[in-house]
Amino acid sequence: MDIVVCVKPVPEAETRLRASSDGSKLDPEAVKFVLAGYDESAVEQALLLKETVPGSKVHVISFGPAPRTEEVLRASIALGCDQATWIEASPQAPNDPLLAARALARAIAVVHYDLVLCGKQAGDDEAGLVAAAVGELLGVPDFGYVVNLRWDAGRSRFTFRRITETGEESWEAAPPCVIGLQQAWNDPRTAKLPAILKSRKAQIARVPPDASTSPASSVPERFELPAPRSGAKFIEYKTPEEAATKLVRILREEAKVFP
Amino acid sequence: MPDFSLTLEQESLRDLARKFARTEMAPHAAECDRTARFPEEIYRKAYDLGLMNLNVPAEYGGSGLASLEQCLIVEELAYACAGMTTSIIANCLALEPIILGGSAEQKQRLLTPFCATYQLASFALTEPSGGSDAGGLRTRARREGDHYVLDGEKCFITNAPHASLYTVFATVDPNLKHRGITAFVVPRSASGVLPGKDEEKMGHRASSTGTVRFENVQVPTTDRLGEDGEGFAIAMRTLDQTRTPIGALATGIAQAALDHAAGYSLKRVTFGKPIAEHQAIQIKLANMVQAVHAARLLTWHAAWTIDRGAKGTLESSIAKCFASDAALAVADEAIQTFGGYGYMKEYPVEKLLRDAKLTQIYEGANEIQRSVIARELLRDYQ
Repeated sequence: MDIVVCVKPVPEAETRLRASSDGSKLDPEAVKFVLAGYDESAVEQALLLKETVPGSKVHVISFGPAPRTEEVLRASIALGCDQATWIEASPQAPNDPLLAARALARAIAVVHYDLVLCGKQAGDDEAGLVAAAVGELLGVPDFGYVVNLRWDAGRSRFTFRRITETGEESWEAAPPCVIGLQQAWNDPRTAKLPAILKSRKAQIARVPPDASTSPASSVPERFELPAPRSGAKFIEYKTPEEAATKLVRILREEAKVFP
Repeated sequence: MPDFSLTLEQESLRDLARKFARTEMAPHAAECDRTARFPEEIYRKAYDLGLMNLNVPAEYGGSGLASLEQCLIVEELAYACAGMTTSIIANCLALEPIILGGSAEQKQRLLTPFCATYQLASFALTEPSGGSDAGGLRTRARREGDHYVLDGEKCFITNAPHASLYTVFATVDPNLKHRGITAFVVPRSASGVLPGKDEEKMGHRASSTGTVRFENVQVPTTDRLGEDGEGFAIAMRTLDQTRTPIGALATGIAQAALDHAAGYSLKRVTFGKPIAEHQAIQIKLANMVQAVHAARLLTWHAAWTIDRGAKGTLESSIAKCFASDAALAVADEAIQTFGGYGYMKEYPVEKLLRDAKLTQIYEGANEIQRSVIARELLRDYQ
């Protein structure tokens, strides 16, 4: 089975964010970038499928600027992906889901694939659009919020469930298709030290930025950090009854949560 | 121009160690410290990720890292728990004599199967009669035909109760002093190898430290490293290699102490403002961060010197000595910053002081480091 995984570098959760000097975007100098959390699950899921379906290959693709994009590709190779393609974006390129989806779809269209796996959304913009847009651009079925993805070899079908607002749906799909993954079977694995060393020497195919790329669907105007939240209110009490009485009064009279 | 930036490869190794330290080690550090539990499941995971036999060349199944990369990893591990780190890196110390003194055949035969699975090894040099006076050790090695017979006792041996392999230093003739010392590789399974009790320690309580007795232990001559009398040089060259990562270990403790103190100083309010706004605390933090930076840079410099192929005796002694003194001082000031809370076991800083203390003592006491530093220094003036 040929599996393509689309991954994106995002700021590490613990990083201290800062706006660039013109305020238009995140200051990349101050940020440590890592493989996005759901993309880590997508890589894990691809590797699990590879381990269960003999002869499978996992090809990881990312669109973005140097050096962060190359780094998440190397991290994916260290985890066990077989092949990597880096579609270079100019450092000025906006963080735009449609721009990314077009670049990814263009690279995927020229390779053989049975499955394209994406994280359901990235931890920076939380847009959750790329998987669906890649599916539309490739002209193959796409599914979001997927869990429990399996390959039914007898019927040559993927089976999976989708988490929706009203419950879970059971689906099956024939290859090729695109899946926006919510969760792999396992917690993502950790790359081992020898694999990390080996990944530094791995060949990464580079696709130069496409000059004809259509403009971004959206361009952010300003990037600013949210104002610090005011402190929490602590209720002083001696008995649980007193705490509840005071809490109800605050909810009713100050927060006006209910009349 | 000197360049203090790390390569992307070095950063990714450090990230691996940081992730392991913070997710696998840190959550168990307080519990293992309290109960003196030896968390073998954590050491096994460290092995699985390639964080254990860092200095063993890759061709023999180790990670084959240079000194600087080892230091980056060790600092991260020690940030989470110095005791666990000591047990994780004890293999590096125990196996270095084989790397330095072993023949190609011995390395293949001894290192490759050892590194192929999770196993612990111990470096057995120190004896009850003294550690710093290594030339005066009393464990005897008597030659009998195609083997030696070892008799004696070693103490303060890291991982001794759990090790499957020991590198043992014994003398073929005590009258020869350090010129009689010879290095051997002894499997735990050899008859007469008797690990003793686990010592109750002040710090590094997740690590295991014990005695090993050798009673009429037969060691084939093929398991002798180098020739008769070359053991002392092998031991000293080993410590030249492994001393620098102890500087990194101490730096990790110091960084943890600084982070705890700085974080607490922003939250703790006295006289109507966070104590970080009181100059007395600012001065403490300023001194602490200087010590941490200096410890790290001296360690990196020693590692860089060794990685360029130099012996680095002076540099590694400076790094180990300075960083361990800094760790104790920074941990001490961290406790002072926490005030009464810092003295309580409920808070993490008193453990750092207890852990830091050992770094001034083991792998060459700082008194020995200073005499080495002075000897190396004065050589340039003679």
